[in-house]
Amino acid sequence: MAVTVVTGAVKTKRGATLGYLLPALLLIALFFIVPVLMLLMRSVLEPEVGLQNYKALLGSTTYLRVFLNTFLVAGVVTLVSIVVGYPVAWLLAIMPQKWSRIVLAIIILSMWTNLLARTYAWMVLLQRTGVINKTLMGLGLIDTPLALVNNLVGVTIGMTYIMLPFVILPLMGVIRTIDPAILRAAALCGAGKMQCFLRVLLPLSLPGIAAGALMVFVMSLGYFVTPALLGGTSNMMLAELVAQFVQSLVNWGMGGAAALVLLVVTLALYAVQLRYFNPARGT
Amino acid sequence: MTQPFLSINGIRKNYGNVTAVKNVSMDIAQGEFMTFLGPSGSGKSTTLYILAGFQDPSGGDILLNGQSLLSTPSHKRNIGMVFQRYTLFPHLTVGENVAFPLRIRRRPQAEIAERVKAALKLVRLEGFEDRMPALMSGGQQQRVALARALVYNPPVLLMDEPLSALDKKLREEIQFEIRRIHQETGVTILYVTHDQEEALRLSDRIAVFSQGEIDQIGTGPELYSNPATRFVAGFIGDSNFLDATVVTSNAGKAKLALGDGAVVEGVPLHGPSAASSRASLMLRPERLSLSRVSVPSGIAVTVRDITFLGNNVEVSTATPAGVDLAVRLPFGHEAISSLARGEQAWLTFDTASAHAFA
Repeated sequence: MAVTVVTGAVKTKRGATLGYLLPALLLIALFFIVPVLMLLMRSVLEPEVGLQNYKALLGSTTYLRVFLNTFLVAGVVTLVSIVVGYPVAWLLAIMPQKWSRIVLAIIILSMWTNLLARTYAWMVLLQRTGVINKTLMGLGLIDTPLALVNNLVGVTIGMTYIMLPFVILPLMGVIRTIDPAILRAAALCGAGKMQCFLRVLLPLSLPGIAAGALMVFVMSLGYFVTPALLGGTSNMMLAELVAQFVQSLVNWGMGGAAALVLLVVTLALYAVQLRYFNPARGT
Repeated sequence: MTQPFLSINGIRKNYGNVTAVKNVSMDIAQGEFMTFLGPSGSGKSTTLYILAGFQDPSGGDILLNGQSLLSTPSHKRNIGMVFQRYTLFPHLTVGENVAFPLRIRRRPQAEIAERVKAALKLVRLEGFEDRMPALMSGGQQQRVALARALVYNPPVLLMDEPLSALDKKLREEIQFEIRRIHQETGVTILYVTHDQEEALRLSDRIAVFSQGEIDQIGTGPELYSNPATRFVAGFIGDSNFLDATVVTSNAGKAKLALGDGAVVEGVPLHGPSAASSRASLMLRPERLSLSRVSVPSGIAVTVRDITFLGNNVEVSTATPAGVDLAVRLPFGHEAISSLARGEQAWLTFDTASAHAFA
């Protein structure tokens, strides 16, 4: 949407608008495009000219497993976030505004809390002697503590918690635009609750689901702190790999190559979203 | 006695301390066009929503062919409805919208195609199957909504101010279509509106709602010529109201004193009829005649304004007490030739055509 507005403005007052945009464009060029290009250069220049870094990255099963794990975690987190976030977004959209404001404030406050603090909190909650395991054992539901941390389960729980607002907010926005009278019409047409949801509510909230899913998936692909703290060594993610290349191995070539693969995947997904779910073009 | 097709029995609806619907009862015959007419907040829409199953009444019952509808959820009532706002499914084409109720009912594909075609033909939108609703005008969208509500042959069709979002010309066009569709299909229609003209144009009978209750049910001419309450008299057609005092009353006819000495006899009186109680005398503008010479029982007035309305001329007058009385006379009437503002005149009327409300 914002893009359309800007192009419209450029067409009417091209020169003047470009002038206003110049500082911002310079900032983006200097701090975003140039570093990415430099990283790209290093990935094909170090240690020698050629694509050997990409060959090594995509040819080794170890690294491929990191890629697969990254997509697996990002995919699972996206799915769980949508499944958990949809009912919350729906409730927020239909509850009276004085209540939804409070719930929204709580959700947004959690976003503002320090990420590291929140992740450590999950470590405490999820560990073998943590509150969750102790409660479950106290209730007699389990005999031995569940392995909730240092594995995929821990990463999924921790990241879903962090990503939920990014699903809830766009979904709530879309669901709020759906006229409740449409659902009443569906009911009188004979649709029960489940059919109303599957045939009307869900298709109409698809743009919100797509926007939320893309946001969460892309953010999850490059996530570092939570997987590093809550995940095990056996399921390393791409961001951790990049950190390892750069920090421990001082291998900027491999690090750059890994980062660029991530960037390309992200851009490809964004293109898909724009093509199929762009509200400005109509779905 | 045969049981009524649709029977609304003592429906009440309270929201906390507020009573939206007090005690609504009526019987509706199969194939009848019944309109709920009233201002906003009079309980007409709430009654319709209770029929649709969107709201549960606080008391009373609704019987369709003798069976209570209340325990049946909306989606199983098999009732059709057209809403005030556009409620087509925006992600489906016109054809898919109309097919929706049939798909839900798992009808065979061939039957769906055939009935969708027939329904679109009924609303004169043949060939619009593949159009998206967002690309249609408001009037077209409401016609598709009508097709969607009729495609599964519901016994009752509810319409909640379906034309209020349309402009006047389009509204009249679709009113005509609704009448035609009612005649062609024979479906029983319950129609909610606050527009008396629309109600008169469409309905077999009209139920006038006021403050959660039905003031009167009847055909348009009945309501116009014999209103049961002051509210009905004021809501249906144009009317003048004049304060009066009951002198005597006998068998529903009253002798009234009009303040400035004028006394009229034989006026139908509605409501309690104690002598010397206050009453409101209703006079239709077209039932008043104007005389420029003093008439014994006439109401003395001053002419305020004269408005030419085509086939009619409206003369605005005021009594010495300052009550405005409008008189409508046919164009060319001798009493108004060279009539001027500020002139004295006397108004008379046939007492049987007036109504007094105590």
